[in-house]
Parts: sequence; structure tokens; C-alpha cells
Amino acid sequence: MGLITGKTVEHAGNAGEKAEPTGEQLLAALEDPDPGVRRHSARKLAGCPDASSALVSRLQREEDVAVREGILSTLARLNDPVAVGGLVGCLRSEDAALRNEVIETIRQMGSEVAPVLESLLGDPDPDVRIFVVNILDSERHPEIENWLIRVIDQDAHVNVCATAVDQLCEVGSEAAVEPLLRLKVRFASEAYIQFAVDLALKRIRGI
Amino acid sequence: MKRILIVDDAATVRMYHRGILESSGYKVEEAWNGIEALEKSLEAPFDLYIVDVNMPKLDGYAFLRELRQQEGPQQPAIMISTEAAARDEIVAYQAGANSYLVKPVRPAQLLAHVRLMLGEATE
Repeated sequence: MGLITGKTVEHAGNAGEKAEPTGEQLLAALEDPDPGVRRHSARKLAGCPDASSALVSRLQREEDVAVREGILSTLARLNDPVAVGGLVGCLRSEDAALRNEVIETIRQMGSEVAPVLESLLGDPDPDVRIFVVNILDSERHPEIENWLIRVIDQDAHVNVCATAVDQLCEVGSEAAVEPLLRLKVRFASEAYIQFAVDLALKRIRGI
Repeated sequence: MKRILIVDDAATVRMYHRGILESSGYKVEEAWNGIEALEKSLEAPFDLYIVDVNMPKLDGYAFLRELRQQEGPQQPAIMISTEAAARDEIVAYQAGANSYLVKPVRPAQLLAHVRLMLGEATE
């Protein structure tokens, strides 16, 4: 039977023997009232491939920053479809701190998440699309520039396009020039778009 | 000369706001997240803060809560967000913002809010 002590989760076996807690015990400890126990449990669950669902569920309710860090770190290591889907769901959270923690976590998850991010560029919520465009700056996927060009050509929301232009300032090539010029025309009355596009064009042309 | 701190993780946005404000005679400094902004405000408080919501390390709401604990309500803060929903505006005011603008901000709109927050005569 598992014992939850003051700061950790232990397994009570034979006298003097300290066994590792089972996955089931670690999952139960995720709901412990002691944040120290929850954090320890979250970190240890990195060795349990089926833990993503419980970790995501806890993350959506967890208020302790250190426990959230532990959960996010483990979800990043698990990096399975449930973990990715759960993290993406948190982009819709009303908690700005959680959203930003999730954005930083997804940035560290590598190119495996890039196809999921691409699909989210068509999300109906413009805030989600803005977060995704922001995350793309950390991706090394060869299609990133094409995705950003698609955004500035097709997305109707000015702030989604503005965020994509910010990213094209960093990764844009000659291929982005014509789409950027089209965007200037499409949002001719938006001073920020005019400014950001001019800056991106200068950087692309090396001026 | 009034000192304004722009807190935003997007370099292009900082440059855009800086250009508008400097051309109107304000002294502008920049921070790319809430932690850097708190450090700068500890060195010498600013006359006005212009703060983005979503930033790494310390978001705009958390920054304003810390700032209000550090400095009290004296220095005004304008929060600028891509989010137009009423709930976001309410959270901003609860965190300590004095004004709320939705991106993209037009130059005249930004200057009007800045002058209002600084108690200057508006044109």
C-alpha cells in the first residue's frame, strides 16, 4: 500500500525496504492537499506513459506555480497526443499566467508539435491563432515561412496578421515580399500593419 | 521630460510605440517582460507604464499586481491587448490598469490615452 508522507510518495513494503511508488499511487498523489506531494508526483509521472490525461486534468485546476511547472515539464517529456492536445486546450484558458506557461512549454517540445500548430492556424478563436503564430518563432520546421505567408494572405483578423508579420521580420525571405505588400493594401488604414510590414521588408531586403 | 516604460515581448510593437511617443517628446525605455519591467521600475519609477498582456516569464496582469504592491497606485498604467472581450478588460482593471486599449493601436489614440493618464492637456 502506498503511503503519502509529508513531502513525498513512498511505497510501504517489507521493513527497511523503500520501493518506488506505482503509477496508480502517483496519480492518486496528484490530488494530494500538499503541493510538495503533488509536485513530486507530477515529476515522477514522467516515467508513466499513460499519465498525460490525469496531468492535463490537474493542470487545468492547479493553482500552485511550482506544481504547474512540474506538470508542464512532465507533459513536455511525455509529448504524446494527449499531452499535446491538453496543452493546446490550455491556450483557451482565461488564466493569462497558465497560457504563457503553456506557450513556453510547447516551444520546448520540438518539431513533433508543428503539425498540430499548423492545424490550429485555422482555429475559430483569433486569440488561439495569435498564440500559435507566436509559438512558431521557436519552430525549426521547414514550412514555417509558408504557414506565416498563408496567414498574412488569408487570415481576416488584423492582430493575427500583425503577429505573423512580427515573425516574418525574423524568418521572412524574398518569398514573403509580395504577400507582405498585399497585406499593406488589405489593411491600408492600419498604421501598425504599415509600420510592421515596412520593417519586415527592410529586414528581408537587408536595408 | 516624462518617462514612459513600454513592456512588450514583441520588438516590433515596442519600436512602433517608441516612435510615436518619442516624436511627441517623451523619454521612452523598454522591457520585454514583466520581470525586466519590475527591475527597471525599482531603479527609478516611471511616470507611465504601457503594458502588454501576454508575455513570457511574467505576464502583464502579474506585472501590474507586483507593481501596485511595489509602488502603490501612483503611477498610471495603460494595458494593451489583442483581446477585446469584456472579461479581459475587467481583469486588467482589477490587476491595477488605469486604461485599456485593444491592438492595433493608432498613433492618435495612443497619444490621447497617454496625455490623459499623465494629466496633460489634450489637443
